[in-house]
Amino acid sequence: MKAERRAAGVTFAGVRKAFGDKVALDDVSLTIEPGSFVVLLGPSGSGKTTLLRCLAGIERPTRGEIAIDERVVVGPSTFVAPEKRGLAMVFQDYALWPHLTVARNVAFPLQSSARTKQERAARVEDLLERVGIAHLSERFPNQLSGGEQQRVALARALAADVGLILFDEPLSNLDADRREQLRLEIATLTRAAGATALYITHDQSEALALADRVGVLNQGRLVQFGTPEDVYRRPASAFVARFTGVAGEFPVRVVRACGPDTVEVTLPFAPEAHFEALALEPAALGDDRHLFVRAAGVELNNEVARASVRGQIRDVAFNGRGYEHAISVGDDVVISKVFAHSRFERGAEVAVSFDPSSCFVMESEQEGKCQ
Amino acid sequence: MTTELTATPSPVTAPPVVGAAPPTPRARRRWSGGTIVLWLILTVLIIAPVGCFILLATSPRLFNQGSQYFTLAYIEQTLRGSTLRGILNSLWVSSVVAVLAVSIATTLAWLVQRTNVWGRRVWPFLMWVLLLVPTWMMTLGWGDLLQPYGAASAAGINTHFLYGEFFGPTGIIIVLTTAAVPFAYFIVAAGLQGLGSEFEDAARIHGAGRLAVLRTVLPIVAPALLSALAISFAETMSDFGVAFTLGYHSNFPMATYALFNAISNYPANFSVAAVIAIVLIASTIPPIMLQSRVTRRRSYAVLSGRTRIARRHELRPWARVGATMGIGLVFFVGLGGPLLGSVLGSFVKNLGIYSSGVHLTTAYYTQVLHPSIADKSLGSPLVLSNQLGVVVATATGVLGFFLARRLVSNVGGWGQRVTDVFLLGSVAVPGVVLGVGYIFFYNLGLIAHDLINLYKTLPLLMLALVANSLPGQTRFMAGPVAQLQPSLGDAARVHGATRWRAWRTTSLPLVSRVLLWGWLLTFTKTIAELAIVQILYPPSQEPASVSIQSYLGNYELGTGTAMTVITMVEMLLVIGLALALYRALAPRGWRRIGWTGVES
Repeated sequence: MKAERRAAGVTFAGVRKAFGDKVALDDVSLTIEPGSFVVLLGPSGSGKTTLLRCLAGIERPTRGEIAIDERVVVGPSTFVAPEKRGLAMVFQDYALWPHLTVARNVAFPLQSSARTKQERAARVEDLLERVGIAHLSERFPNQLSGGEQQRVALARALAADVGLILFDEPLSNLDADRREQLRLEIATLTRAAGATALYITHDQSEALALADRVGVLNQGRLVQFGTPEDVYRRPASAFVARFTGVAGEFPVRVVRACGPDTVEVTLPFAPEAHFEALALEPAALGDDRHLFVRAAGVELNNEVARASVRGQIRDVAFNGRGYEHAISVGDDVVISKVFAHSRFERGAEVAVSFDPSSCFVMESEQEGKCQ
Repeated sequence: MTTELTATPSPVTAPPVVGAAPPTPRARRRWSGGTIVLWLILTVLIIAPVGCFILLATSPRLFNQGSQYFTLAYIEQTLRGSTLRGILNSLWVSSVVAVLAVSIATTLAWLVQRTNVWGRRVWPFLMWVLLLVPTWMMTLGWGDLLQPYGAASAAGINTHFLYGEFFGPTGIIIVLTTAAVPFAYFIVAAGLQGLGSEFEDAARIHGAGRLAVLRTVLPIVAPALLSALAISFAETMSDFGVAFTLGYHSNFPMATYALFNAISNYPANFSVAAVIAIVLIASTIPPIMLQSRVTRRRSYAVLSGRTRIARRHELRPWARVGATMGIGLVFFVGLGGPLLGSVLGSFVKNLGIYSSGVHLTTAYYTQVLHPSIADKSLGSPLVLSNQLGVVVATATGVLGFFLARRLVSNVGGWGQRVTDVFLLGSVAVPGVVLGVGYIFFYNLGLIAHDLINLYKTLPLLMLALVANSLPGQTRFMAGPVAQLQPSLGDAARVHGATRWRAWRTTSLPLVSRVLLWGWLLTFTKTIAELAIVQILYPPSQEPASVSIQSYLGNYELGTGTAMTVITMVEMLLVIGLALALYRALAPRGWRRIGWTGVES
């Protein structure tokens, strides 16, 4: 499928949005390249929906500037109405009009276009084919399942034939199987349409799977913006590390510098064990820091080595490919979601070792600046 | 008194929607921009006339109605003799009626929604019809049926012994109860609708007997029951139709008639009328505030995506017959009896007068349509009533819709709270108070001489009728409007629709049925309205309800009854025509709103 319209670039400059005393967005600046798929990731209340709604024109920022394709749509004396911004959106609750059939819902954005009636009908048919619900075109939204409703919403957004498509947590109301399937369809169909996509979610696996670039929001601030690999491998802060998934977190002490950004640390409850980890912030010898460990970087063995620590299996769960373990280490630390092909029984003593590339040393509470 | 139905009845159910977006800045801006206009309209319509009028109770000199700036003399004067008796009568009758109406309505709602009783589609529709029939028409119909030499006698049934009972507290309570049942029914039915059978199932699974199940489930719908109780009480307290007809003729004074009497006598005593108005308003505010408080807690908002459709109890054959007959009896008392009485009565020659044998005649209809006395036909009053109905229903519909949107669009804001409380309080202002307030306020020298002279004109009558309907209409629409998911409008705007097109294509279809029912409700209530019309109609421009009352007042019962029948038939025809047009012209999707079946 060819690209149907030139993708739009987006710029946020110093955008702030307050609801009374509550600041939802705090000085957010961000540039989205045309044609890229950007995912904004953050917990509930982090401001991601507000940012999306400001871009759509449903909310008006308190301060700052937003431009689409270098055309300022929000500025000190500018506010372009939503219908004049040339974008489309998939809503969290789908926002399908219950009195219109599937076909008429999808045709809605086409009504103000210059297409003839036949062209519009053909376009609707084509889109419904693409999302796999052509046979449901005469049904009403409440006659559809959640997944089918989501496909209608996706088709409607694609029908608009615009350079920018916004997605407001579109998969959050679906069960796990459908999420996976629709995630793939959203990624392929949006990229095929050639539009720029801004997608928000609180699900880190969804964000990392979909995005060309991931932005992480916390308390209204953009705390990191980069490729999924960057965000996962070099989180800008403890918050980003935690939000993108850590298996465990320990207090450690820096005992040696091993390279430009690698240090050796010891655990307070196992001073004999030494581990290497990435130092994502400057750390001096003797500094107390926190060690964050990704699940993929934890290995379980029966024999204790120098770079390992003793632990006890607290729980084990079969996940089809193998086993996920939760291990107690020290007095009150639990490392979870540790994968192994073989099963370690509950209560068994094991040696836990860490891959340095999946371990970060950071201050526990410090939030990183936007990169 | 206007209608207050905060819970949406089934015929006008808006689409089930979930979630609510935070207040948008757009809504906030509209508030600041529209607030002045909004409050100006409310001031002209309600605040100024009612406010000035009730000030008279203690400060007559403010409006040149007495010599005192502050006095309690009129309160003392009001709280004695027949006026006090009227107030006390209204209070106890309203209390009894509220309890009876809620009990009957709850039983009906349960039977219709939770059992296999026959006629489950018909009863809710008849409930709407019952809602639209004014109390004075019910009274008239029963009077025609039961009176000596009346319609029942003509059919060979001796009803003399019932006639005496009917013209007294028993008849008053029966008529007012049947009039209050629809208000209670729609509120309780909406509460029951959200109550899946899982609550009952859970109680039974955990060992509860039938009584324990009832004890467990009832508190869940208690807020709905309380709402119904409050509304039934307020509606009954402010009723004028029964007080003016049955109450007056049976020498059973009631508060609204006492108020009317205070300004009808010469010289008019506005201060006493004001004290009665305060009593009427004050007596209805506590139950309505209680209802509002309980409803705001949303403790009966148990409807969710997980709520299963309640299972129907399969009644045994004899129970099914009994239940169906019981429901039928309620509708016979509310609709069948009065209708039968009016229709039969309008064909009985010398209705209510001794004559040998029964003689049927169409003379009354001839007289109505071709009167011997000039300007006494029903034609022009009925046309005038219809014109009033169209103007008032349309104006109220438009204003009510915008007020409802404002009411629900500023969640938590001070403006929303003030409007909410004000509209809630306004619902408790009886029509007779508004009518008298209008007479007083728009006849003040300051207004009539220096500003605009509307006294005894049709525009003033229209304003008063709009003011009377507006609070109830707004609250009636607030529920469905609140159910409009903001994202539906947002989605339309984002996908290229202008503000107008977004509203026309996505919001209007979803509230179209509510707008239609609201319009019909106001239209029929306006045609049948008695209190305000009786007080404010311009000389030589009698609306239908006044014409009918003047015939009845002159003991021309047959002609008055024939006029009533024609008016009722005309109202029903308009309702039928409007619904048929909606069915024929509204797109299929519009008519599906509220339909929740899932085929796939």
